[in-house]
Amino acid sequence: MPWALLFRNMLGHPVRSALTVLSVAVALALLCVLDATARGYTSAVDLAAQNRLVVMSQVSLFVPLPLAYQQKMEQVEGVQTTTKFQWFGGEYGDRGGFFAQFGVDADAFETMYKEVSLVEGSFDEFRGERTGCVIGKGLAAQYGWALGDEVRLTSAIFPRGAGGKEAWTFVVRGIYEAKRKNFDEQTMFFHFDYIRDSLETGAAQGAEGAGTYAIEIDPNMRAETVMSAIDALFENGPQRTRTTSEAEFNRQFMSMMGNIPLLLRSIGGAVLFAIFFAVLNTMLMAGRERTRDLGIMKALGFKNGHIGMMLVVESMVLILIGSLLGVVLAKGLAEVMRPFVSGFAPGFAIDGAVLAQGLTIAGVLGLVSGLAPGLRAIRILPVHALREDA
Amino acid sequence: MALVPLQYAFGSIWHRKGATLLAVMSIAATVAVLAGMLCLQQGFLGVQTQGGRTDLAVFLRPGANSEGESAFDLERSQIVMKESPEIQTDDNGAPMASAEMFLAVSLPKVDGGKTNVPLRGVQPMSFAIHGDDLKILAGRNLTPGTNEIIVGRSITDRIADCKVDDELELNMTMFRVVGVFEARGSHNSEIWGDVDRLRSALQFDNYNRVIGLLKPGITAEQVHERLVVHPRAPAKVIDEKTYLSSQTGMLSGMLGIMGGFLAFLMGIGAIFTGTNAMLSLVASRTHEIGILLATGFRPWAIFVSFLLEAALLGLGGGIVGCILVLPLNGMQTGTTNFQTFTDIAFAFQFTPTVLITALATAVILGVVGGAFPAFRASRLTPTQALRRG
Repeated sequence: MPWALLFRNMLGHPVRSALTVLSVAVALALLCVLDATARGYTSAVDLAAQNRLVVMSQVSLFVPLPLAYQQKMEQVEGVQTTTKFQWFGGEYGDRGGFFAQFGVDADAFETMYKEVSLVEGSFDEFRGERTGCVIGKGLAAQYGWALGDEVRLTSAIFPRGAGGKEAWTFVVRGIYEAKRKNFDEQTMFFHFDYIRDSLETGAAQGAEGAGTYAIEIDPNMRAETVMSAIDALFENGPQRTRTTSEAEFNRQFMSMMGNIPLLLRSIGGAVLFAIFFAVLNTMLMAGRERTRDLGIMKALGFKNGHIGMMLVVESMVLILIGSLLGVVLAKGLAEVMRPFVSGFAPGFAIDGAVLAQGLTIAGVLGLVSGLAPGLRAIRILPVHALREDA
Repeated sequence: MALVPLQYAFGSIWHRKGATLLAVMSIAATVAVLAGMLCLQQGFLGVQTQGGRTDLAVFLRPGANSEGESAFDLERSQIVMKESPEIQTDDNGAPMASAEMFLAVSLPKVDGGKTNVPLRGVQPMSFAIHGDDLKILAGRNLTPGTNEIIVGRSITDRIADCKVDDELELNMTMFRVVGVFEARGSHNSEIWGDVDRLRSALQFDNYNRVIGLLKPGITAEQVHERLVVHPRAPAKVIDEKTYLSSQTGMLSGMLGIMGGFLAFLMGIGAIFTGTNAMLSLVASRTHEIGILLATGFRPWAIFVSFLLEAALLGLGGGIVGCILVLPLNGMQTGTTNFQTFTDIAFAFQFTPTVLITALATAVILGVVGGAFPAFRASRLTPTQALRRG
């Protein structure tokens, strides 16, 4: 393979080669980010804990379950630990900074969610303070919050004060890292009792009860048995329940948003075409304008295979450089996008699987784009090639 | 000074079909993604804000942004409805106001999976308020005080057990579907029943919101001014049109941002591809440029001619992109408006806004991509250009 000639050819059109490399880089970065979003989105189901159940009202996710249910559920055979999960719907600041917050039972939460690993602060400090909270490290980074900082949120579900715009104050007592890929690091957990106390004293308004309960079951019990036992317990009301596995709950929650993977795949398809057109365009141009050179090479005795191969390799080199740039770009893009997508795609990350798929696709496109002019180069006769205008 | 004739730009695009086709397709791919996202946004906006009325006031609990978050107990709802002089009265002197319940109920979709369907408890006066805007398409209207419900036309085929004569179980009570209705905008995605029957079935202590028809000349802001400081029944008051658009801001904004973000990144790629294609067009016509220059055309005329050619290329890409997206028009889809957490059914809408945005973007992509090659072409000197080739 005459490498020197190959690179000289590429550098002969520096602008064109650079533009091709850059458009491959942008497109590949976009492809990787889209793929990572789709994977992150489905990871919430695939990686859900096997021994956790979610109890919600049968009729609606927005009907709170009576607080008395918790003790009754704990009597059911196979139920080990339970915690309330109350969606708070708080907004931060005037510009409506939004992230998920849940009121939970601190002890049970610590026992059940081993994937929540505190990197700063401790559960003891969290437990010791009624207004304490633990936040994901993504959230801490996004808003620049540190241990001991006050976080002031207003909630439309639990409005405080006469105008409903008075803020709830929370104190950061722990910052967590997720040990499981599908667990969101943009969430805040605080004491459910903070809500309950505020409702009881009349400091805040809102519905009593818990939105959902999370349950950890004995791993030796069949989940289905426990689920039907719980639902049977509340068959006669006042609120019927629906108990599902964590995976099923996540799946239903996501199916509400419509077919997001299909949307992402359609866009990904368009991006693929864009990469393909960019490289094919360049290679067809390169092949055409080099017809005369090819004739000379053939006349000098270069093998047909070598000559065709040169265009294929050139295409692959362009793709390779573009792809490497694209990977760097994708990593950067992912950092910018994380706060926006991690809410619905908690496993969002540019990982090995995403890169492998992106690079494979790029490689195939590079090969095809090189083969198009390459095959023509093999077939063309030296006399014809030499006769053509350069 | 003369411009290069338009036919030149047209003709040369046609002459180099291969290279231009690829550049056109690359712009088309970008435009298709942008237009697709915009069609989603337009469809969503269309169904949500269509026909929101400014003479219909929506009363919410202070601090609440949507009816799901709002609550009125019996006493406060009565005060708001009966002691508001701004609200119109009917022939019998009763205020044309109604206290409603609202809940997103989890129901199975016909094609599998569950979704949240808005369930609205209404009072007899609600029908008087909606008047001719509400039509019964099949079956009959519900009888107040009974466990009868009517369903909006958008969901009767989408949600299980929502056809006339079907029975729908809510918590522990059976409700019978007696009719299918058509109303304005998002009401078509709702299930309506008697507010007190529904509240008792669902163990609801409170109403969620109050609506009231305003007397002519009175605005919701005026009522708000008075009620927001009311000692016994404080309320936030906005008109229905404002309320509906406040419920759609987040999702429609997200679709817009997503479309813009994707179009921006893909646009960069398309510009590069376009530049490459135009560079090769310029290179292959160096000789011709020399002739044009030698016959007296000025460099700026050459520049304009190539830029025009690039704009045509972009326009071509825009048209192809729009054609690719056009079959989506009218396609039904649905998602959850996560501001209200309810299912919302709508169709892709290929509106003039979509068309204009898509074509304008395409032309801009073409022109930006063509600027450098056109500049390069205009900088050639006749002798230089004629010597080569």
